[in-house]
Amino acid sequence: MTEDTKKSAFQFHGNWVDFAKIALVNLLLTIITLGFYRFWATTREREYLWSQTQFIDERFEWVGTGKELFIGFIIIAFLFLIPFSLLYFFATIINPLAAGIVYIIGLLFVFYFVGLAKYRMLRYRLSRTYWHGIRGGSDDKGFRFGLTYMIKTTLGFLPLGLANPWATCELWNERWEKLSFGPNDFQSHASYNSVFGTYLLSYIFFPFTWVYQARLRRTLIDGLRLEKLEFAFTASTFDWIGLIIVDVLIVLGTLGIGLIFIPYRHWQFYINHLEAYGEVNLDALTQSQTAKEKHGEGLLDAFDVGAI
Amino acid sequence: MANDIVDPFFSVSHFDGKTAVRRKVEIQTIGQNFFLLENERRHGPYTFDYMHFVSKTKDNISYGYEDIDGWRLTLSGPIPEGLKPLLPATRTYGSWIDKLGLGKASVAFIAVSAAVLVVGMTAPQWLAPIIPQSVENSLGDTLVGDFGGRFCNTPDGKAALAKLTNSLDGNPDDLQVEVVNIDMLNAVALPGGKIFLFEGLIQQAESVDEVAGVLGHEIGHVRERHVMQGLLRQLGLSLVLGGLNENVGGVLNSALSNSYGRDAEREADSHSIRVMSEANISPIGTKGFFEKLADMTNEDNDISEMTSYMSSHPLSTERAAAFQKSFDANKDYKPALSSAEWGAIKSMCKNDPDVKSGFGFDLFDE
Repeated sequence: MTEDTKKSAFQFHGNWVDFAKIALVNLLLTIITLGFYRFWATTREREYLWSQTQFIDERFEWVGTGKELFIGFIIIAFLFLIPFSLLYFFATIINPLAAGIVYIIGLLFVFYFVGLAKYRMLRYRLSRTYWHGIRGGSDDKGFRFGLTYMIKTTLGFLPLGLANPWATCELWNERWEKLSFGPNDFQSHASYNSVFGTYLLSYIFFPFTWVYQARLRRTLIDGLRLEKLEFAFTASTFDWIGLIIVDVLIVLGTLGIGLIFIPYRHWQFYINHLEAYGEVNLDALTQSQTAKEKHGEGLLDAFDVGAI
Repeated sequence: MANDIVDPFFSVSHFDGKTAVRRKVEIQTIGQNFFLLENERRHGPYTFDYMHFVSKTKDNISYGYEDIDGWRLTLSGPIPEGLKPLLPATRTYGSWIDKLGLGKASVAFIAVSAAVLVVGMTAPQWLAPIIPQSVENSLGDTLVGDFGGRFCNTPDGKAALAKLTNSLDGNPDDLQVEVVNIDMLNAVALPGGKIFLFEGLIQQAESVDEVAGVLGHEIGHVRERHVMQGLLRQLGLSLVLGGLNENVGGVLNSALSNSYGRDAEREADSHSIRVMSEANISPIGTKGFFEKLADMTNEDNDISEMTSYMSSHPLSTERAAAFQKSFDANKDYKPALSSAEWGAIKSMCKNDPDVKSGFGFDLFDE
């Protein structure tokens, strides 16, 4: 199947009224359940956004469940947050030094978990995303990536933060190269070379941070490949500024209620600026053989960044 | 038995989950089973019972099949009447809510949430009395120890302090009242019946009656078991809020758990007023103490220990008024202690050669 060059391979068909019906009910249910509904709320929003996003000839399908996210949250809570809170509470009773030690150990854990979660989030989302009945995933659980993340992020900050773009690109590439869709592994070749100059300028003149951030996202996505598909991201600095200004206006103008539209707006923004070139051979696109627990309730497999 | 589908607006597409090829098929139902017919090929047999709902949009409904990853049957257009009862139920809000209906489910959620809130917020009050005193005592000992050698101790001073305590409490054996050599205008009640009057409070008090009022207040905290309640509340908050969001949790935690809360402070005040009245000690000194607090906070807030004392206690002017109101002009009030005894307490820290100074102590600074 070859790609029509005039039209983007990605199309978004959603409209905000339909999304509002979902998001407003979600908001109410989340409030009256003291926040517990949010896992199911996230799932409903994703079901909608995925189902309104077309790639070439077919829409995506989100099959993740609220229960999975909830279980992921419970695991994190019982494995980490509650033991750590108790430990910290009793440490503060014993003495300030013990509390300090517990606190630092806790921070190191969080650091590790953030790296792990950045990878797990991608893996979870790919494994719950279907297109033409085919999904993505990975057999790599990401425990080593958590360590790499700690090391490279630290290295990136050490020389006055100068190696930050290097660390970001390296970690992005490492994450994606562990992932696959159907039988094909992703390849990722984002290089910090193309963003380093802008990054240096941002030290001198602050607004260049925005230019850097926009260029970084283009660089990261432009470096992605999946078999014969190449991806590209077209959002310029001004596109981003426009997005954020309108976000702020909507949120202020609605006294905060508009916050519930932000996921919609950002998803739409990403899809509208996402491009793919190349071809997909449907006969050769076979089912992913990566590990997947029967009902997707595998322990840590389920925790999403929202849970941290 | 075969059921022919004839509606021209109704179409069925199928992914077998093995490759990404889309297959246009027709459904051939045979009782609870069905085949999918694609040109010359026939896929199946499948059983409707093993199908589950996956997704729906305005035009399509998609089903999956147990154990076949990626198997999809997507129906577009009006579903034939004969097929409808065989298909599994769809899902909108989540299976529980769908079963009950959104309205009923909402009512149920509100009821459960309200119950959880009530139980959670009152838990420290009914849990605290269940915790044995021995546990609280050993907790107090671990927490405090000898407070880094900062207890002031002279025989005369201790005797005077014990006399003051005895006059305010009928059963003072389980109380440990100490003057602590730290220059703060404050007093605290800690687990295990430990009550600390800080040296700053003693030195700035204009009369022993003032100290008696504050001591009566702290005894009130001990007798009402506010200390354990406060600890439990802090523990509970750090668990609940910590579980949801670290930042918000931290802020709320300190805001909510700071000291014992206003209701507990009022309870402690009325305890103080009652025992002072029973001991024939005039409430006017304590009233003066709160007026002093009110003046100082009105003027400037440079003194940090002042504001920390103020933040959780009911407004000082209001408290001063409560003590004033309890004054009975017909009553024959006596000073809480003789001036010699009061002098012994006032000079206890100065005259104790072993006591450590308060500098560098940071247990309460967090």
